[in-house]
Amino acid sequence: MRAITLGHYLPGDSLLHKLDPRIKLLCLLVLIVTLFLVRTFWGFILFGAFIFIIFLIAKLPWRYFLRGLRPVLYIILFTLILHFLFTKGGKVYWRLGPLSVEEAGIYMGTFMTLRLILLVVTTLLITLTTSPISFADGIEFMLRPFRRLGIPGHEIAMMMTIALRFIPTLMEESDKIRKAQIARGADFETGNIFRRARNLVPLLVPLFVSAFRRADELAIAMEARCYQGGKGRTKMRELHTKPLDYFGLFTSFGMMLVILLGRV
Amino acid sequence: MLEVKNLSHIYMAGTPFQVTALKDVSLKVEKGEFIGIIGETGSGKSTLVQHFNGLLKPTSGDVLLGGENIWSGKISMRAIRSRVALLFQYPEHQLFEETVYKDVAFGPRNLGLSEKDVKERVCYALKLMGLDYKSYKDRSPFSLSGGEKRRVAMAGILAMKPEVIILDEPTAGMDPSGRRHLLKQIEKLHREENITVIMVTHNMDEVSRLADRLFVFSAGRLVLQGRPAEVFNSAKTIKEIGLELPVLSELLQKLRNSGKNIRTDLFSVEEVGREILEHYRRG
Repeated sequence: MRAITLGHYLPGDSLLHKLDPRIKLLCLLVLIVTLFLVRTFWGFILFGAFIFIIFLIAKLPWRYFLRGLRPVLYIILFTLILHFLFTKGGKVYWRLGPLSVEEAGIYMGTFMTLRLILLVVTTLLITLTTSPISFADGIEFMLRPFRRLGIPGHEIAMMMTIALRFIPTLMEESDKIRKAQIARGADFETGNIFRRARNLVPLLVPLFVSAFRRADELAIAMEARCYQGGKGRTKMRELHTKPLDYFGLFTSFGMMLVILLGRV
Repeated sequence: MLEVKNLSHIYMAGTPFQVTALKDVSLKVEKGEFIGIIGETGSGKSTLVQHFNGLLKPTSGDVLLGGENIWSGKISMRAIRSRVALLFQYPEHQLFEETVYKDVAFGPRNLGLSEKDVKERVCYALKLMGLDYKSYKDRSPFSLSGGEKRRVAMAGILAMKPEVIILDEPTAGMDPSGRRHLLKQIEKLHREENITVIMVTHNMDEVSRLADRLFVFSAGRLVLQGRPAEVFNSAKTIKEIGLELPVLSELLQKLRNSGKNIRTDLFSVEEVGREILEHYRRG
């Protein structure tokens, strides 16, 4: 239950939660493109303010964003340090042998870091407010145009749904097996990396056995209900776009235009 | 020897998914007792027993083993787990080794015993579970039948020579003969090895016959406790919290309510049969 906030869903009833998942994915796409069109710090301030307003609308506890940023913290730090040390140009602030911190480096480092943080926060805003099932529905819709190229959109979405559906089940299962082995004196916490990896065997073997058993049972259950893939399949929850959805899409494109035309 | 004081447990505290699983539970288990823990699904039984060997840390309250708080840091967790063994529901799912021998030896090896002692323990545990050492030790646990797997898993726990064993629905999903067999073995363990047994179960008939004392849980609270006869005398409470009386108690209480002067504190078919026969003989 720890570092999986990225892609974790928080139930709620804000406007953002009510948005059509297809539209939300489209908005996310537009906003990510916009983020890469930003060229100045003013642009980031503008974009940041926009995201902050959406954050207020979504009524999410900010702790979840911090927790969501934690897994990418190292990437962010890495980017920052790399730019600080190796991007050259402008005033030189500090020098040691071949290493130097220069004006352009600081500028680029901060710029990239801001972009990364905003990228994660924007994605989190969408994933935290979209249930995995509607997310998969959205993906299925987005993949529809690629069907001609032989990409099986429905099957991919179904695989996603099943995978997502089984994450909590397998987490619970692994927790139970872990506890059962700890009760037999197993140790998962101490020792060097090789020792730890070997100590995981008592956890992984039963987990795989049970995952295969579940997969088998699920396949039989689906067969028993005549599952045949996407062709001619109707949906239990039909997605309908509402005025709110168009408004959301309109706002995202609006943001893109502002960034583009404002040259910020 | 095992005691919990004002124990509460909240899962995922501080998130929207917060659930209070146990509320202010206090109870005591004496050495050599056979304890039954009953309650509806989700009443907190499994959460409770995971506190007994330190798998879960109480949100508030204390767990004491032999008078010592297990979270005080004075006793190592490993020592606690070798003294209080816990067997989860469907324990056959925890088997992982290539041979029965290696799987049963997992616990004793983790205790740091010598190979000679480990072998002795494996022998002892398999024998206790009624599995012949020579014919089972080299078989793969995955090739065994469901009942055999469960007995191997239980042997894996017994090989640690615990003072207390906690069994979470040990007979779930077993056929009647496997069930009878397993219960006989548990009874024998309790009687001959003097192991304290704590059994979580939904089967009122089994637990009323085997247990010295019962703890009844509902919605995270301890609502009733006492000898089976006392507990099942509160038929109204038992039914209110979604449980059933043992079939035999139900029968005796119905007879009594219809005006027969009959004892209601009997739980085995033999005793109840004798009581009814005697009642009619007395006239």
